Amino acid sequence: MTPVASLAPLTVAGPLAVAAAMLALAHALPRYVPDVIAILTALGVAAICAVLARHALEHGALVYWFGGWRPLGGVVLGIGFGVDPASAAIASFIGLLFAASLVFAWGYFDEVHAHFHVLMLLFLAAMVGFCLTRDLFDLFVWFEVMSVAAFALTAYQLEAPSLAGALNFTVTNSLASFMMLGGVGLVYARAGVLDFQAHGQAVARAGHDPVIAGAFCLLAAALMIKGATAPFHFWLSDAHAVAPSPVSVIFSGAMVASALFVLAKLGLQVFAGSADARALMRGLFVGLGAVSAVAGGLMAWRQRHLKRMLAFSTIAHLGVMLMGLASLTATGVAGLVVYFVGHGLVKGALFMLAGVLLATGQSIDELRLRGRGRGQWATGLAMALAGILLGGAPWGVLDTGTDLVHAAAGGLARPWIAAAIVLGAGLTGAAVLRACGRIFLGLGPQAGEEAHSPTDEETERADRPLWLMLAPCLLLLALALLPAEAARGLVARAVAMLADPSAIPARVPALGRTSAALGWASTALSLSIAAFALWRERLPRLLTGVADRATRPLFGVLKTPHSGLVGDYVAWIGVGLAAFSIALALR
Amino acid sequence: MSAAPWLVAALLFAAGVFGIVTSRNFIHLVGCLSVCQSSTYVLLLGVGYRWGAVAPVFYDHPPGTPAVDPVVQALVLTDIVVGATVTALLLAMAVRVHDKTGTLDPQALAPFPDRRR
Amino acid sequence: MSPRTRVALMALVGACLAPAVWSIAAALPPFGAPTGAYGPTVNALGPPLRHVSNMVSAVNFDFRGVDTLGEEFMLLGAVTGAVLLLRGARGEDLADAAGRVAGRRVEPRSSAVVLVCHLLGPAILVLGLYMALHATVTPGGGFQGGVVIASGFLLVYLGEGYRPWRALVRSRALAVAEGGGALVFALAGFWPMLCGQPYFANVLPLGVFRDMLSGGLMLVENAGVALAVTGGFAILFLEFLEETRAPRPRDEPGSGGGA
Repeated sequence: MTPVASLAPLTVAGPLAVAAAMLALAHALPRYVPDVIAILTALGVAAICAVLARHALEHGALVYWFGGWRPLGGVVLGIGFGVDPASAAIASFIGLLFAASLVFAWGYFDEVHAHFHVLMLLFLAAMVGFCLTRDLFDLFVWFEVMSVAAFALTAYQLEAPSLAGALNFTVTNSLASFMMLGGVGLVYARAGVLDFQAHGQAVARAGHDPVIAGAFCLLAAALMIKGATAPFHFWLSDAHAVAPSPVSVIFSGAMVASALFVLAKLGLQVFAGSADARALMRGLFVGLGAVSAVAGGLMAWRQRHLKRMLAFSTIAHLGVMLMGLASLTATGVAGLVVYFVGHGLVKGALFMLAGVLLATGQSIDELRLRGRGRGQWATGLAMALAGILLGGAPWGVLDTGTDLVHAAAGGLARPWIAAAIVLGAGLTGAAVLRACGRIFLGLGPQAGEEAHSPTDEETERADRPLWLMLAPCLLLLALALLPAEAARGLVARAVAMLADPSAIPARVPALGRTSAALGWASTALSLSIAAFALWRERLPRLLTGVADRATRPLFGVLKTPHSGLVGDYVAWIGVGLAAFSIALALR
Repeated sequence: MSAAPWLVAALLFAAGVFGIVTSRNFIHLVGCLSVCQSSTYVLLLGVGYRWGAVAPVFYDHPPGTPAVDPVVQALVLTDIVVGATVTALLLAMAVRVHDKTGTLDPQALAPFPDRRR
Repeated sequence: MSPRTRVALMALVGACLAPAVWSIAAALPPFGAPTGAYGPTVNALGPPLRHVSNMVSAVNFDFRGVDTLGEEFMLLGAVTGAVLLLRGARGEDLADAAGRVAGRRVEPRSSAVVLVCHLLGPAILVLGLYMALHATVTPGGGFQGGVVIASGFLLVYLGEGYRPWRALVRSRALAVAEGGGALVFALAGFWPMLCGQPYFANVLPLGVFRDMLSGGLMLVENAGVALAVTGGFAILFLEFLEETRAPRPRDEPGSGGGA
């Protein structure tokens, strides 16, 4: 075994061992030691995964068999980690995001003896395992560890809304894990093994099989619940609004997107031979992605609670990612991977900015914060930049991702996909820009629809220096601005190896691209909608009145399902499952 | 009759989900989540069973006796631990929610009750 | 949505899903028929290759040890979360008297209960130890044994009362047990890597078939799991029982407690 190969288990077992040691010594550790250890562990994981990604890109995907249990006579006996370049690169990005979030959270969680850091390290290990594994039940185990750490972290602040949000999150995601387990059981019943590659071969042999179709529906529904796609997305806004800011960075930046990444992996490696799965993805999933993008954008526009606004914008952008992956082409999946990184960077930065505003302005409500940001030019510029990037501005990593998703959509010959992406991105960018203008420039005295949306009296301690909170945020934004065009070739190669990890591609076809006009269109849309809200009082009453009356029924229809009641959310999960089965039956 | 375990699993899941959707007490909801989970136990253990086979513990019978599938049993053990951990967390949350709000009714536990309308 | 709407919606969903469930149930292999090669291969390879007779433990600790690693740490995370939720709001306190909730009668402990607990407590602790130690031989293992031992602690509370229970069950010792057990498990996997083998490869001497000390590295992992599960569940019981303490003024500044 090569030395590089033996690094693979360190990415998961390392943070776990550190977390266990920290828990055992929790009462004895001095003040800032847990922070330092956690940050160093996260950086270490990021570095190791980067090394593994680079190695896999040059020498082919690595398979690490735990316990030395190599497949015997065609039967896979143990659990393997499939370290292909795309998975390792995503894992490395996750480690980086964790390190940034832990720097942001420095000194924030003092009272509880390093428990926060134990949970964060557990979360990190689980997410890396989730991305790297090639065993279906192991996938479920890491999914569950990820969820449990997330449940515990969400309930951290112990206030009433925080607990209700955590309850909704826990119940819906637990149902997701049971559905995933049901799917695993069905595939095991048909195939008799749990390894991705062995499953892929068995699925290809099975042909048209209700068991495989049912298994795909359950697995996809579970991953789409975690990935907050309509109609499974309701839990995200509650969970985000109440989780502490460092935790929200990870949720939106990495956790929900990783569920969609794994869905892409399953679609490419396990269910590639199933015509039912392909039909469902290219049909219903694209539609659900479009609905998520537009509904998420509209709901984000309607919010005044900054974290809820960002949560809905995450839902919108994940809808875009779903549209990319649903095409199952190289360009689409490449779009997913690049969008993952770009969106994670920008959204992580935005949640950190929300945390900064909460600490300095002592409120999370956009209307109450109006004008309180005057003088904080660094924070204001960062937020404006993030808003423009979110709105689809044609430079940086997020734009390359959007470009790839548009190109994949063009291959599907459905023009409404491009419209949905432009509208969703434009609305979310507009919401952030509106908030930015209101908070830092004091504009927008007249509130529109957002005045009627829920808000909260949340505050946070302002006991750490502003530069310490802003530094990771500015780093993430700087990384988001890097031109990703140069990496197109590498991404194409990585995606080819994701689809077929056992082969080293000899020649990789180039990825599609579209014009920059779509990016300019969504940027223009976001700037104009934001300007409409910020300078409302100068516009003729007739215009604003007509706009309000036209949009009010739309917002009313959208607002009703988002009731905050867990029974409603579970009912919508049932509706989603029924939609899957109807779509398959109609095929 | 040979499809009975699969139908039982589906029925259990449906019963659990119905319970969650109509629940008026959070402890009852946690119980319904356990019912949903037990459907996965039935499915997995049913997949592994073989007629005329013994338990996969070769202490009393010699190795080589036909035995049921040990892999699904190990999976179900993991699943049980998952269920126990999530139940513990949910019950702790329920205790705290009752402290803070005085109610355990999921219908009354919206995180952000809408202010108007 | 009103509850009635929800029920109607769920009935509709059930009607849509029923044909799909029926067709899947019909297409699944019949109950009791052999499925796949994984299980029989493990049953065939376990005794000769690893000298263990409990195949389920072999799968848990050897063939699929990484799953158990994840499961172990999931328990750790959940217990940490529950501790945060319960202790974080209430504060830690080593009281020597149980709390009393106002308005509730205090029932005296019956001598029958005390006798039964005196008899059963040690028996259950021994049973738990037996189950945990004989993981690789007979049904049982670290998880099962650990839960039984933690339940045995509860019998101490029932039989002896609050003060001896609190003196026995120390949260710091339990946290060390829990974290230490999980750490032992994770490090047991690293040991083979120092010998050039993959993580969790079984490098220790395998022992004699049907002997308690068979299985090699599985025994170390099992011990780690038993320690961690005992610690974890005992902490959970402790935290939930502490909730029955009536709050003191300095514990909860604002809201009241109890039902």
